[in-house]
Amino acid sequence: MTDKQNTVAGSCLWLHYTRPRPHWYLVPAEKQGELQAAWAAIAQAAQGKGALYQGRYHIRGQHDFETVDVWTFASSQAAFDYWNTLVSAKYSEFFAFSNNIGLALSGEHGAGASRIEHRL
Amino acid sequence: MTSLTGDTDVFTSDANPRACIVLTGKRQDDLPGIYGAQERDAILAVFQALKAEGWVLSQRHVFDPSAPNDPVGLDTGFTHDHDIAAVFEAPTLDAALQGTVRLEQAGWARLFRTEWMIGLREFAPVFGERASNDHAWAFLALWEWNDQWCEATPQARTEYDFECDEAFKGDLAHDVNISGRQRLDVAHHWHHLGYWEISGPDVADSAIRGHERVADFKFTTSRHIVGRIRPMAELIAPFGSIKAIA
Repeated sequence: MTDKQNTVAGSCLWLHYTRPRPHWYLVPAEKQGELQAAWAAIAQAAQGKGALYQGRYHIRGQHDFETVDVWTFASSQAAFDYWNTLVSAKYSEFFAFSNNIGLALSGEHGAGASRIEHRL
Repeated sequence: MTSLTGDTDVFTSDANPRACIVLTGKRQDDLPGIYGAQERDAILAVFQALKAEGWVLSQRHVFDPSAPNDPVGLDTGFTHDHDIAAVFEAPTLDAALQGTVRLEQAGWARLFRTEWMIGLREFAPVFGERASNDHAWAFLALWEWNDQWCEATPQARTEYDFECDEAFKGDLAHDVNISGRQRLDVAHHWHHLGYWEISGPDVADSAIRGHERVADFKFTTSRHIVGRIRPMAELIAPFGSIKAIA
């Protein structure tokens, strides 16, 4: 497979599980607001580059984490670039996380978005 | 790419980071007709294709590019809940992820229940003092910064990094070769992998005591895996054909 196949918008799922780290609750509200605005701008910029943000869902009732964000990116590298920008903006210092990436299976993500061929 | 923390005396950024693939796998129930020589051959064919596509299938090849690049893994069943572990490298993240699916579809999924972890190399390899010694074993450290590290000041983190560097220098004195550092946080809760070549489990234990002395684990949560390095062809042999390891 070549990188040319990696440029179809929306073909890489990225799941982001998160919860606040304890010291987040000690951060003054004004500072929290500044950080959240910076992270929101990074998310907005990713969407400007073609990423699709499908929303944040509350899962605390059946999970170690509080919420899960659902994104699709053109490639796993694009997902990494978004995540790396968030990390550089101190996001992961205030929020614990677990992430997943997944590629769309052939024929299961709409026309043109196929990524993985069934070989058996 | 930005490293999560800066360079230290021991570690420097890798100028050309490749994607990495880490796996732990547990053999599934041995029911008739599920996994045999046909699937084994298909998996090995995928490995050959991946090698041709630029994958690194043996970390020995990272330390010494003239060393064979045939796939190897760690035999870990003697002390871990999983039977094997392995570390590969791929040209890109997407190639890494696609490769795992190709292996699974070739028959890997019939043999192992697997956790695949995918990320990027961020630090270059580091050689031990007698780097060419026999390294028949490997040690994997999966780890993440804990809440206390996240709360700490930048100065406290830098001081901590250099304290840990003392322990890493001790590792090198144990003839440990460290295959740089891999970053896994884009697709896991683990932040990093460290891969060491070692001469045996006692070396890992002794070296980790050095890390405990400098309080390495006050700022990290980690999982350590020790295994004997074996050819992948042996590790994925169908049950009936497994031969006793001399």
